[in-house]
Amino acid sequence: MNAPTALTEADFEPSPSTHRAEQLSRPSLSYWQDAWRRLKNNTRAIISLYLIMALAFFTIIGPLLWTQDPAAQDLDQISQAPALPKTARLVADYVPWQVPISAEHPAEPDDYPDRLDPVTDFRTSGIATTQSVRLTWSPVNEAGGYSIYRSETRPDGLMGLGLPLETVSGGNILGFEDRLNLKSQSYFYSIVPTDGFDEFDVVTTIQVNPEQSITQSQAILQGLATPEDLPGQAITLAFHPFGTDYLGRDILARLMQGAQVSLFIGVVAPLIYVLFGVFYGGFAGYLGGKVDQLMMRFADFVVALPFLLFMILFKIAFGIGPGESGVMPMLVALILLLWPGTARLVRGQVLKIREQGYIEAARLLGGNSSYLILRHIIPNTMGVILVTLTFAVPSAIFTEAFLSFIGMGVAPPTPSWGSMCNEGVKTMLSHPHELFFPALFISITVLAFNLLGDGLTEALDSKMRSRDL
Amino acid sequence: MIQASHWYGLNMPQRLLLLLCMLFAWSEGMAQSVDAASGTVKIAIAQEPPQLNSMKATDQVSIFVLGHVMEGLTRYDRRGNLAPGVAERWELGDTTAKFWLRKDAKWSNGDPVTAHDFVFAWRSVVDPNTASEYAFILYPVKNAEAINQGNMPVTALGIEAIDDHTLTVTLERPTGYFIKLTAFVTTFPVQEKFYQARTEQYAADAKDMLYNGAFTLDSWVHSASMEMRKNPLYWDAEAIKLNAIDADYITADTRARLNLFIDDKIAYTQLDGETYKDALNNQFRIKKFVTGSVYFLEYNYRDNRITRNKNLRAAIQAAFDPEEFVNKVLQTPGNLPGRSLFPTWIQGVEKTFREEYPPPEVKPDLTRARALLTSAKQELGLEEIPPLILLVSDSPTATKQAEYMQGMLKTRLGLDLKIDVQTFKQRLAKMTSGEFDIVGAGWGPDFDDIMTFGDLFASWNLNNRGRYVNPEYDRLVRVAMNSSDPKTRMDAMSGLQSILIEDAVMLPMYEQGVIYLQHPKLKGMRRTVIGSDPDFTYARIAP
Repeated sequence: MNAPTALTEADFEPSPSTHRAEQLSRPSLSYWQDAWRRLKNNTRAIISLYLIMALAFFTIIGPLLWTQDPAAQDLDQISQAPALPKTARLVADYVPWQVPISAEHPAEPDDYPDRLDPVTDFRTSGIATTQSVRLTWSPVNEAGGYSIYRSETRPDGLMGLGLPLETVSGGNILGFEDRLNLKSQSYFYSIVPTDGFDEFDVVTTIQVNPEQSITQSQAILQGLATPEDLPGQAITLAFHPFGTDYLGRDILARLMQGAQVSLFIGVVAPLIYVLFGVFYGGFAGYLGGKVDQLMMRFADFVVALPFLLFMILFKIAFGIGPGESGVMPMLVALILLLWPGTARLVRGQVLKIREQGYIEAARLLGGNSSYLILRHIIPNTMGVILVTLTFAVPSAIFTEAFLSFIGMGVAPPTPSWGSMCNEGVKTMLSHPHELFFPALFISITVLAFNLLGDGLTEALDSKMRSRDL
Repeated sequence: MIQASHWYGLNMPQRLLLLLCMLFAWSEGMAQSVDAASGTVKIAIAQEPPQLNSMKATDQVSIFVLGHVMEGLTRYDRRGNLAPGVAERWELGDTTAKFWLRKDAKWSNGDPVTAHDFVFAWRSVVDPNTASEYAFILYPVKNAEAINQGNMPVTALGIEAIDDHTLTVTLERPTGYFIKLTAFVTTFPVQEKFYQARTEQYAADAKDMLYNGAFTLDSWVHSASMEMRKNPLYWDAEAIKLNAIDADYITADTRARLNLFIDDKIAYTQLDGETYKDALNNQFRIKKFVTGSVYFLEYNYRDNRITRNKNLRAAIQAAFDPEEFVNKVLQTPGNLPGRSLFPTWIQGVEKTFREEYPPPEVKPDLTRARALLTSAKQELGLEEIPPLILLVSDSPTATKQAEYMQGMLKTRLGLDLKIDVQTFKQRLAKMTSGEFDIVGAGWGPDFDDIMTFGDLFASWNLNNRGRYVNPEYDRLVRVAMNSSDPKTRMDAMSGLQSILIEDAVMLPMYEQGVIYLQHPKLKGMRRTVIGSDPDFTYARIAP
């Protein structure tokens, strides 16, 4: 055995470290920073995000900028397609027209004539405006009356005369006034003489282009003119960039008001029921055992409840009278019946995470329940929660649209996108814009939330992290 | 050449088959909806008549067929005026009516139509055992109501056959429109001998009934077709130009009927909002017709309803423009702006009632409407009128009209309206129980007299859903009911019309019009608001 050497302090110095394994070469990224970075790389999701922000702007700021009353009826511009502002001639208020009646011509023929001559001198009397088109003609020998037709295309001989406007009974009546929903476009008026009973196969047609016009009282009522403005003056009519509906209501203003209803339901209902579902599912999953069993069977029970039936029940229970909005019962029904989906999802996630190794480790190191839940479990379920939320929004918007479509939602005159579609579908063939715009807004919103949801799934799901970069 | 080689390439049975097919195709092509040579017109009927017993018929199709194959004491001529039918002439006293029947009126079995046939038919109608829904049509006849309620024997009915060709009727009270009732299906004659031989089987099939009208029912293939032929025994057979009316199709589907019309299988079909654009695209001549129904808003006059206030109603009346409503909101041609409870076609003393007694004119006047509303608020002691409930049925047009009223009253008067949309049945229930402030209602005529509209707001009328009570109105209705002098009756009705408009009892909206298609060669088909519509009796086919 060697004699022991004396050990100095220096012998106990740690040997100098030669490498620094733990040094971070790049700034560290938190979970959220990482998710955001990945979301930014997803073009579709970012476009969707911008769209959703634009929608929020449209809904909240829009009505402040576009101040037309969504319930105001502009009867001079019914079912107007999207167009630039129109000018109209200011005309005096309507006074009934004394239809010219011939004094010498008999009202009824003596006998039933075998043939009649076509009407001659068929023309307009005065200026043809969208308020009224006044037509006069010369009497036809032996005629017992006249039928007047209106068509939007040039009639081909006797066929296609168009809408039967009036059958004047009396061969001596020589005028007719058309006021039926006139637009500033070409009309072809045809006149056919009758024997007071049947029409004869001779027709006279003229083309008339009524001038867009507005009466003084209407213009003053709409604030487009002052009482000092004189008839004949040109007036710019109310501008409807998205056109008007079947009662002349501005579609843009209605879309904005409708968005408030649709997005209110679409955002508030999912926020509340997803939050509730998270707590419910989180508790069930974390506590486990009998409590979990009990809670989840209750959730199963709620899933089995029919939504539409409850919607009707809530409407009655809330004492929603006739003609009142059904938005509140709809919100309650959505919240009370749709949370189990989220609850199940979160519970499953929590059950899985609870058994993970790092949870065990954290517990061994002395982490208490609230620390475990806040630090580990919730952040790890956050991806699932956010994705559920983004998918719940479009489905709630759809539900609102559907319920308003079947007349269970908003009460007129308040519009929602669904009720606007319901009204627009009736005139789909003749005025497609009345259906197109609300349908487009529903589609864009639902698509944007869905794509954002997709993007979030990819960005937040830890399993997908290894796939890129 | 190619066709020929195909032809020779076929064996005999195939050739025969092809020939048959070609024959069929040819005969199909010939089956046009109107045929001038044979005087045939083909039509479709909406459904099969449940039975053709004139004493019990209530539905449109039964009334349509019966109007062609049978005839009452009076009928309507080609212009729609009341004309002699089985009765050659008549006399209407205060409480009696006497009819002289023509001697050449015959049943289709050759027997003459006698006064006894009418006595039998009318007694059967009011007999409670018959349970005829239209028995009330005969209530003007003495004791009819009591018999129908089972309080008197049927023989007590005020109708008597003096001889085979003279008939006297005793009336309960003077009824000016009584003669018009004798053109209605329920009052048609029935031969007792024939009826007793058939009893339950009567009018269940073409051979189980007797005809005295311009046509006879030649064949009735159940749920397939009904064919009518000209009746050679008809007293006015010379005036009838058509030889046959064939209802070869039974369908109520307007789209199917339009397609049949396009294929020239039927000569007449009605259009609705969905099909009229197709008809326009097919370049058809669309005709229009005023159905005779009037649509209006009724107010609730029950206690505590603010619609009891006259100025409030008058304000709504002054703000509403029926012309604007018809032209801008209804948008389909044929509707007339509502000006009165009485439609334009109602007959007055000599001309139409509306020509003789124009209703008080109401000009849409916003300044006046607002002034009226202000005084209404003062009278009611209200700062603001609470929202009114407008009850409408759930048809798309009704809700659109309601929305128009809502927007119109809001912008023009600042009045709030809540729209209560209900199904037809539920709406009637709510109307009866009075759960509304304003209700959208319509009324169609039951018989060709002003009274079918006139007594609508009488305090005893169950159809007066708003419980409007006005002794003066009731008095005028009674005056018109108890008089047979047209002038007195129309004067009373004019007074009543003034009350309705001046007190804004109801708000007339429009007189309904419909549009339809008719084969251009078919002439003289008469559309009518009462009875057999359309009426082909005097129709003819242009060559």
